[in-house]
Parts: sequence; C-alpha cells; structure tokens
Amino acid sequence: MKSLHLLLQRFADADLDFVVVGGFAGVLHGSSYVTDDLDVCALLTPENISKLRVALGDLHPVHRITHKKLSFLEHPPEGQKLPNLYLETDAGVVGVLGAILGVDGFDTLRKNAIEIPLFGRRCRVISLEDLISTKEAMGREKDLLTAKELRAIAAKRSLS
Amino acid sequence: MKSADQALDEARRAGIDLDLLDSNLALTYEQRVLRHESALELVLALREAGAAYEKSAPVAPEIC
Repeated sequence: MKSLHLLLQRFADADLDFVVVGGFAGVLHGSSYVTDDLDVCALLTPENISKLRVALGDLHPVHRITHKKLSFLEHPPEGQKLPNLYLETDAGVVGVLGAILGVDGFDTLRKNAIEIPLFGRRCRVISLEDLISTKEAMGREKDLLTAKELRAIAAKRSLS
Repeated sequence: MKSADQALDEARRAGIDLDLLDSNLALTYEQRVLRHESALELVLALREAGAAYEKSAPVAPEIC
C-alpha cells in the first residue's frame, strides 16, 4: 500500500529536523499535480541516519538507485554521513536531500519554512516563495509549468 | 516581480485549471493530502492496468 502521508508521519515521529520540499510540498500549498514520491530536506548526519533507520525499519527501505537495491538498514555503515538518500519503501518512494537548488542552504530553507498541523503532528514545509525558486532553478519544462501553477496560487492568496 | 493578474494570466495561458486551484485552496492541509492520495492511487492503478494490457495484448502481424 503506497501512502506518502504514512511516510511523512514516520518522518514527523522520528524526532528529525526536516522540511518537506518538492511536489508533495506543492500539494500542501494547493497544487493539483500528482507526485508519486515524498521529498524532504534534512542533514544526513550519522545521528539522523540512525533515527531514520528506526522510523522506516518495518517499511523495508532499500536504496532505489543501487543496482542490487541494498538495504538502508545495513548501508551505509554506522557513523557515515551522506549528502542525499533515495529510498524505496513499502509505503512509497522517498528522497532525503541535504540541500536543494534555488535556496541557500538548509538553515535558510528551515527559517523560511511554514509549520503546519498535519494528522496530529507539526510539519515544516518549504515556503511557497522558496518552492517557486527551486522549481524555476531546476528549469525543466515540468518544473517551469509547476512554478507557473505555484505563482497562480501565490496570486490567488494575495488577492483573497 | 510579476503582478497577481500577470501570474494568473500566464497560468491560464499555460492550461492550468484555476478553478481546480480554488477548490484545492478551500481544503485543509489534511484534505489536500487525502485528495492527492486518491489521485495517486488512481494513477498507480492505471499504470498497472496499462502494463498488464501491454503484456497480454496480441502482437499485431507485420504488413509486408
């Protein structure tokens, strides 16, 4: 059963400092585009990797880009940090990114983020302005179209 | 900096459904997530059905 919101709940319960980014953040801001993965931004220190292993353990997380789909529960070895993490789990695909294009580092992203109530938890979500910047910085056609939609959302908010 | 009217006009010209955005913006965060989840389920089911059809469909004979 794919459930991105189950994945998000796991992150929220993991006592991990993270910010929801990407298409799912767009959905939270009101976008109509469907995304089949959850992207979050977090610093992948050895401590945070340990927290994620506990949080995702029963969802059988594997590194989706590795040829043999290595288990996240065994790789990387304890004590190692990572720049990014791309996982496939029983609940869906999740990307954990150390930084994102268009925003100047995790601290800035976190400072600008909005905090929202979601299923009994509090989650930080990239601000609409930063999300537009990242989509425009990526520059692919689909990102530019999404940026147009997000700009329309910002416009509607400013007019309401 | 684009004005709100410019941004809405560009979105409209790009084919973005502005009424659907109004409908999304009227929802709570949780309702947005649940609506997205239903849409994603449908997308995944259609992909699966498409893949199953591709496997089972007879190959068209070549025309010489």
